[in-house]
Amino acid sequence: MSEPRVLVEHFFRHEFGRLSAVLTRSLGVRRLDLVEDVVQAALAQALESWSRRGVPEDPAGWLYRTARNLAIDALRRERTHALALPRLAKDEDQESSPPEARFADEIGDEPLRMLFVCCHEAAPAESRVALALRTLCGFSTGEIARALLTTEANVQKRIERARVRLRELDVDFDTPAVAQLGARLDAVLAVLYLLFSQGCHVTHGDMPIRRDLCDEARRLARMLAAHPGGDLPATHALLAMMSFHGARFDARVAHDGAIVLLEEQDRSAWNWNDVREGMAWLARSATGDELTRYHLEAAIAWEHCRAPSFAETDWSRISELYHALERIAPSPLNTLNRAVAEAYSHGPRAGLDRLSAVPPEDVPARYPGWHLVIGELHFRLGRHPAAERAWREALRLTTARADAEFLRRRLREIESATHRETPDKVGGTAINDELWERERVGYDPRPT
Amino acid sequence: MAKFLFIYRESTENHPRPSPEEMQALQGAWYAWMQKFGSAIVPGGDGVKPTGRVLKAGLVTDGPYVEAKEVVVSFTIIQAEDYEEALAIARACPPGHTIEIREFAGYA
Repeated sequence: MSEPRVLVEHFFRHEFGRLSAVLTRSLGVRRLDLVEDVVQAALAQALESWSRRGVPEDPAGWLYRTARNLAIDALRRERTHALALPRLAKDEDQESSPPEARFADEIGDEPLRMLFVCCHEAAPAESRVALALRTLCGFSTGEIARALLTTEANVQKRIERARVRLRELDVDFDTPAVAQLGARLDAVLAVLYLLFSQGCHVTHGDMPIRRDLCDEARRLARMLAAHPGGDLPATHALLAMMSFHGARFDARVAHDGAIVLLEEQDRSAWNWNDVREGMAWLARSATGDELTRYHLEAAIAWEHCRAPSFAETDWSRISELYHALERIAPSPLNTLNRAVAEAYSHGPRAGLDRLSAVPPEDVPARYPGWHLVIGELHFRLGRHPAAERAWREALRLTTARADAEFLRRRLREIESATHRETPDKVGGTAINDELWERERVGYDPRPT
Repeated sequence: MAKFLFIYRESTENHPRPSPEEMQALQGAWYAWMQKFGSAIVPGGDGVKPTGRVLKAGLVTDGPYVEAKEVVVSFTIIQAEDYEEALAIARACPPGHTIEIREFAGYA
C-alpha cells in the first residue's frame, strides 16, 4: 500500500474560498447562497469519499470537478422548474447556451474579484468582514462569531444583510474599473486591516492572538498585491505593517498564554524572515505621493523591529509618526499612543500633559487602555493613589483575561512600591506595548 | 469470524453545518479509522445518497420519510469475533453518528 496522501493544513477552508469565488463567477453574485450550498456539498462528498479511498492525487481538481457538476445539476433543476412555469420560461430563452459553457476551466483571479465583492462599499461596513470570512476564508458562522466576538445570530444577520444588498444592487463579479477602484480599494484595505487587528488583539476571552485571522488577512493582502488592480503602495504598506507585527507574534505570548510586553520580549525570538519581508514591502510602498495610515503604521512597527533593545527605541521618531497619524486618522487612541511615546522620550509628565489636553467629550472613557496608561504615568510620577484609581477603572472595564491579569499584577506592585523608593527614570516600568496595537480595533465588534 | 453490519444514521434535526476546518479534521479521523481497522473492514461499504424511493404495498413514495428523526447515511461491513469486538471497533469511529450494529445471520 502506498503512503496515504495528507492534506495541507486548512486545505478544506482555503478550497472553500477558492471554489466559492470560481462558482460565483459562473452563477453570479446574486446566487451567493446557492454557491455556498454547492461548495458545502462538494466538501461533504470529499469527506465521505476520501475517508474511504484516501485523498486523491489532485484533491483541488477533484473538488473543483465535483462542485462544478453539483452546480450544473442545480442549474439544470432550475431550468426544468423554469420550463414548467410559462411565465419564467421567457427568461429561459435568453440563456440558450448550455450551463456548461459558462463554466471556466481555469481558476484565475476569481478570489480577488470575490474580495472586491465582499468589500463592496454598498454593503454595511460590519457586514463586509463577516462576509469575507465566510465566503472567502471558509469560516463557519460559529467560528466567525468567536473571531469577531459576537453571537452566531448576529453574524448570520450581518452576512444576510450583505447578501441582500449585493443582490439588490446586482453587483457584477468583476474587478471594478480603474475609476471606481479607489473607493473600493479603500474598503478592501480597511477590511484586511480590521481582520488583522481583530487577530492581533483579542479584546475578550482567553486568547491574546488569533493567528488564523492574521494569517488570513496576510494571505488576502498578498493576493491583492499580486494583482495589477491591487499592486499599489497602500497595499504594500499594509503588508509591511502585517509582516512587522507578525514577526513578534511568537515572542508576544508566553507559554501560559499571557501577553509578554515589548520591553520583556526576547528579540532574538522574533521572526526575522517576517521582518525581512516587511522591509521589502516597506521599500515597495515608498513610491507615489500618497501617504496612507498604513504607511505610518508600518513605519511605527518598523521602528520597534529596528531597535536593538527596548531602551534604544527611537521614541521621538515614534511620537512624530503618531502625530502624523493623528492628522490623517484623528482618533483619541492615536493621541494616546503619541502620549505613550512622548512619555518615553520626554518623561511621564509630557505624556500626562498630552492626555489632559484631550477635550473631555473626546476621551474614550470606556476604553480600558486609556485608564491603564494614565495609571502608568501617575505611577511613574510617584502618585500612587491616582495610579491605583486609574488602574481599578481599567480593571473594571476590561473583558480580556490577559489584560485583567496584567492590571492585577500592576496593582500589587503599587502595594509593594509604597514601601520602597520609586524609580524616577523612564522605562523603569513598562507601559503596555499592546496599546499601540489596539487602536486598530476601529469599531466595537460587540452586538449592538 | 462473524460479520456485522454497521448502519450509520444522522439526525435530521437542524444542526449547524460543520465548518471546512471541522470537515477536514473528520476526514483525517475517518481515514485513520479505515486504516486502523482495514483488516476487519469487508469491501463493499459505502455512503448512500440523501434521498431515495420507498416501495410499500405497491405504492412508491419519495423516501426516506421527511418526518423520520434519523436517516441512514452510510454502512460498513465488519468482520469480528463477537459483539464485544465489533463494539470496540464502532466505539473507535469518529463522532457524529448513531451506529446500529447487526450480526449477519448467515442464511446466504
